[in-house]
Amino acid sequence: MRTKTNWTVMILITLGTILILFPLYMTITIALKTPEDMLTSLFGLPKELHFENFTNAIRMTNFFNALGNSTMVTTATVVLTLLSNSLVAYAIARNMNRRFFKGLYFYFISAMFIPFPIIMLPLVKLTAGLHMTNLVGLTILHTVYALAFNVFVYVGYIKSIPVALEEAARVDGTSTWGTFWRIIFPIMAPINATVGILICLSTYNDFLLPLIIISDTNSYTLPLVQYIFQGQFNTDFNLAFASYLMAMLPMIIIYLFAQKWIINGITQGAVK
Amino acid sequence: MNKRLMPYYLMTVPAVILFFVFLTLPALQGVYYSFTNWNGFGDNFDFIGFKNYANLFKDSNVGNAYWFTFKFAVVVTILINIFSLLIAMGLNAKIKARNFFRGIYFLPNILSVLIVGYIFNYLFSNVFTIWGQNLGIEWLSTNILGSEQHAWIGIVVVAVWQGIAYNTILYLAGLQTIPHTLYEASNLDGANRWQEFWRITFPLIAPFFTINMVLAMKNSLMVFDQIVALTNGGPGRATQSISHLIYTGGFEGGEFAYQSANSVIYFILIATISIVQIRFLQRREGEM
Amino acid sequence: MKLGKYIAACLLTVLVLTACGAKEESGRVQVEFFQNKPEAKGSFDALIEKFNSSQSEIKVVQVNPPDAETVLKTRVVKNDIPDIIGMGATDTYSLLAQSGIFMNLTDNPLLNQVDETYVQMLKDVAGMDEVTGIPYSTNANGVMYNTEIFKELGLSVPKTWDELLATAQKAKDAGKIPFYLTYKDDWQTVLPFNALASNLEGIEFYMERREGTVTFADKYQEIAEKQLALMDYGHGDNFGKNYADGNREFARGESAMYIQGTWAIPEIRKANPDAPIGFFPLPTGNNPEENKLISGVDTLLAISEDSKHKEEAQQFIQFLLEPENSKQYITEQTLFSTVEGVTQDDPAVAELLPYLERGQVIDFADHYIPAAVQLNSVIQSFLQNRDIDGYLKKLDTEWDKVADRR
Repeated sequence: MRTKTNWTVMILITLGTILILFPLYMTITIALKTPEDMLTSLFGLPKELHFENFTNAIRMTNFFNALGNSTMVTTATVVLTLLSNSLVAYAIARNMNRRFFKGLYFYFISAMFIPFPIIMLPLVKLTAGLHMTNLVGLTILHTVYALAFNVFVYVGYIKSIPVALEEAARVDGTSTWGTFWRIIFPIMAPINATVGILICLSTYNDFLLPLIIISDTNSYTLPLVQYIFQGQFNTDFNLAFASYLMAMLPMIIIYLFAQKWIINGITQGAVK
Repeated sequence: MNKRLMPYYLMTVPAVILFFVFLTLPALQGVYYSFTNWNGFGDNFDFIGFKNYANLFKDSNVGNAYWFTFKFAVVVTILINIFSLLIAMGLNAKIKARNFFRGIYFLPNILSVLIVGYIFNYLFSNVFTIWGQNLGIEWLSTNILGSEQHAWIGIVVVAVWQGIAYNTILYLAGLQTIPHTLYEASNLDGANRWQEFWRITFPLIAPFFTINMVLAMKNSLMVFDQIVALTNGGPGRATQSISHLIYTGGFEGGEFAYQSANSVIYFILIATISIVQIRFLQRREGEM
Repeated sequence: MKLGKYIAACLLTVLVLTACGAKEESGRVQVEFFQNKPEAKGSFDALIEKFNSSQSEIKVVQVNPPDAETVLKTRVVKNDIPDIIGMGATDTYSLLAQSGIFMNLTDNPLLNQVDETYVQMLKDVAGMDEVTGIPYSTNANGVMYNTEIFKELGLSVPKTWDELLATAQKAKDAGKIPFYLTYKDDWQTVLPFNALASNLEGIEFYMERREGTVTFADKYQEIAEKQLALMDYGHGDNFGKNYADGNREFARGESAMYIQGTWAIPEIRKANPDAPIGFFPLPTGNNPEENKLISGVDTLLAISEDSKHKEEAQQFIQFLLEPENSKQYITEQTLFSTVEGVTQDDPAVAELLPYLERGQVIDFADHYIPAAVQLNSVIQSFLQNRDIDGYLKKLDTEWDKVADRR
C-alpha cells in the first residue's frame, strides 16, 4: 500500500501549490500588463509583454542603486557575521566551565527574547549620536544582533567537535587564534552555510531596522524603496508590481539555483 | 589573568562591548526615558515618575494593541502549525516530484514580508472582491482589510501564507527521522490513521512541534511589516500591533517617553512568557 | 587564515569607500529638500531641475517618503534635520516649531513676498509670534463633481446641506454613486470632518477646548450626525478603497461627487486628462451666506535651525517664490499661490475663487488637534461602528490624555 503513489495526497498537495503560486502568478502577469489590459482581463496572461514597466520602474526608483545597497549590506553582514560570531561562539564553547564565559553565553542568548521594538526608540538616538545612520551602521547592527541566535547555534555545533584536534595543534605550538582559523573554522563549514543563509535572507528582506536607521535616500535598501514609492505606485499598479518583482528577483534566482542547499541548511540550523 | 585564556577574552570582549552598547544600553536608556516626559527632540524634559505607566493602564489604545497582537499571535501560531504539519505529512507521503513540491512550499519564506504584504494588499482590494461579486458572496465582495471586525483576518491570511513555509520544512525534517518500520508494525496491529498519528507520528516529532510553536509565536508577536503594508493599523486602530504603536506613537505623536514606558511593559510581558516557555520546555525535555 | 584576512581587508575597503562615496560629488553644496506631498514630487522635481541647472554652486535634492510626518519626526529625533522642509501647517508643524528646530524667519525679506493673511495663519497654528515658515501654497477642501454627470442628470451645484443630500439622493436614484468614499485611508475620513467642524463650531472651539471650558460631547453632536449621514451615499465598499482608488475611479466617471481637496486634481488628470471636474465648498448648514470654504496652507517652507546651508536654502526658497515658478507649481498642482498676483486659472476650481477673493474661508479644523490624538483613526473607527456617543467621548478622553502628557 505504501509503495504506490498516493494520488489523493498528490492532488491535495498540487492544489496547495496553486494557493502558494497564485499571488506570484498575479505579480508576474500584472508587472507585464498595461492598465488597459487589466480592465479587459485581470487574470489572463498578458497579450503582449510590456517590459517598459520594468524600465520605468528602474528609472523611477533608481533600482540599481538600491540593489547595490542591499547587496552590499547583505554581503558585508554575512561575511562579518560568519567571521565574528563563530569566533565569539568558539571562545565561549571551549570555556563553558568558567563562570565568565558561561555568563556570556546566557547574556547573549537571552537577547533572543527581546523584541526589537523595545530598544527601537533609544536606538535611533544612539545611532544618530554615533553617526551610524548609514549602511555601515546598518551592517554593524545586523552583525551585532545576529549574535544572540548564532551564539546559540554555533556553541551547540562546536561542542560536538572533539577537543583532541586542538590539543594536538597546541602541542605543535599553534596559537589559539591559529587553531581557530586553521582547524575549527574549516570544520564549521556546514553550520556556517546555515548561518550564512539565514543571515542573508533576514538582512536582505529586513525593513524595520533600515527604516529607522537610514536617513539618506541614496542609501535606501530595496524594501525601503518599495515603501517610499507607495505614493507614486498607487496610481500605477503595473509599475509597482514590476518594481516589487525586481526587488524579489535576486533572492528568487539564488533560490532557484541553490534550493536544495538552502532548504537543507535551514533544516540543519533548526534541528541543531 | 591566565595567559592561556587571554586569546579567548580577546575573542569575546569586543563583541560583548558592542552587544552592550547596541542592545543593553538602549534598553536601559528606554527605562530612563520612560520616567520622563521627553518628546524625543527639544532640549528640556522633566522627570515625572510613574506617570507614564499610570497613563498606560488607562489608555484603551494600548490595551487594544496588546489585545490585537496576542489574538493575532495565537491564531497565526495555531494555523501555521496545523497547515504546515498537514503539508509536511503530505510531502512525506508517497508522491511524485517531492523535491519540486518542497521547493514550491518553501518559496514564500525567501520573499520580503513587506513586499508580500503589498501584493496581498492589491489582491484583497482588487482581486478577491471581484471574485466575491461574481460569485455573489457577500463577505468576499468588499475589501476585508476595510472592515473593523475582519481586517485582522486578512493580516492572518498573509502571515500564515508566508509563515507556513519555514515550519513545513522543519516538520518534514522531523517526519523523515521516523523509521518506516514503526508504521509497518502499527499496520499489523490494525491501528487506523488517526491512532497512528497520535501514537507514533506526533510523539516522535514533538521536539519539532515545540520549536515551531516557539518560532511562530515569537515572529507573530513582533508583527510590523505586514501591518505597514496592509492596513497601517486601521481601520481605526483595529489592527494596530504593539510594534506599530511604539513606532507610530513614539515618533509621530511626540510620545517618545510614553511609548518608552510601553516598551518596558512589553518587555516584562515577553520576558515572563519566555521564562514560562523555557521552564515548560525543560520539563518536557526531561520527560522525554 | 589568509583568506579570512583577505576578506576582512576587502570588506573594510568597501565599507570605507561607500562611507566616503556618499559624501560629496563635484564640489556643489548639497541641500536636502524634504517635502510631504507625493502628488507634488514630479512638480518639485521639475523646479529643482531648473534651479540646479540655473547655477553651479547648489544642488538641491528632493526627499519625499510616504507617511512623511513620521519620517520627519524620526529624523528630528536623530538630530538629522533636512535643510529645507516643505509640509502642511499642521499640528506636527506646531510641535516642531515650538521645539525650536526651525530657523527664525520673522524679519526675513522672503516673507515680504507672500500674502500677510497666511503668515498670520501660520502664527495661529504654531501658537507663536515668531514666524518659522514661509507659506508657499494653499489648498481648498470641498466637493469635486463630475460636470458631465451633473449635466446629464440635470443637477445643479448644491448651496445648502439639505440640497447636498437631495443632490446625492438624485444621483443615487439615477443609479450613480453619489460620493466615491475612500475610507481605507484613514486621513480621507477627516475631510468631511474638517468642513463640518470648522464651519459649524469654528476654530475658537479649540482655544476653548484647551482651556477646558467646552467638550466635544457638548458641541460636536451635529458634526458627527452629519458626517454619518454622508455614509448613506457612498458605494458598496467604502472602507475597502483608498485615495488612489478614488482618484482613479472618479477620473473614470464612476461617481457624481468626490469629497476631496484640490490637491487630488493632478492625480485624477493623470488617470484621465480630460476628466470633467467642478468643485464646490461642502455646504454644512442651510444658510449659504455663512458657508465658508475650507482652505489652509498646503505647503510651507521652513529651514532647519541646524542647517549648515541656510544661505543656500534661502536662495532656493527665493527661487520657488518667483512668480513664474510659483505659477508653474500651482498650475500643475491645482493649488493657490501665496505670492501676490499669481492667480489660479484652472476652470476646475474657478467656482472657488470668489470665496477666496471675499475671504470667505476658514482653516482646517484638524490642524488644531494634537497629532497624538490620532484623529484620523478615531473618525475612521467611528464611521464603522456608528456610535456617536462613544466617538465624542473618545475625542474628549484622547484630548485630555494627550494634554495630560504634554
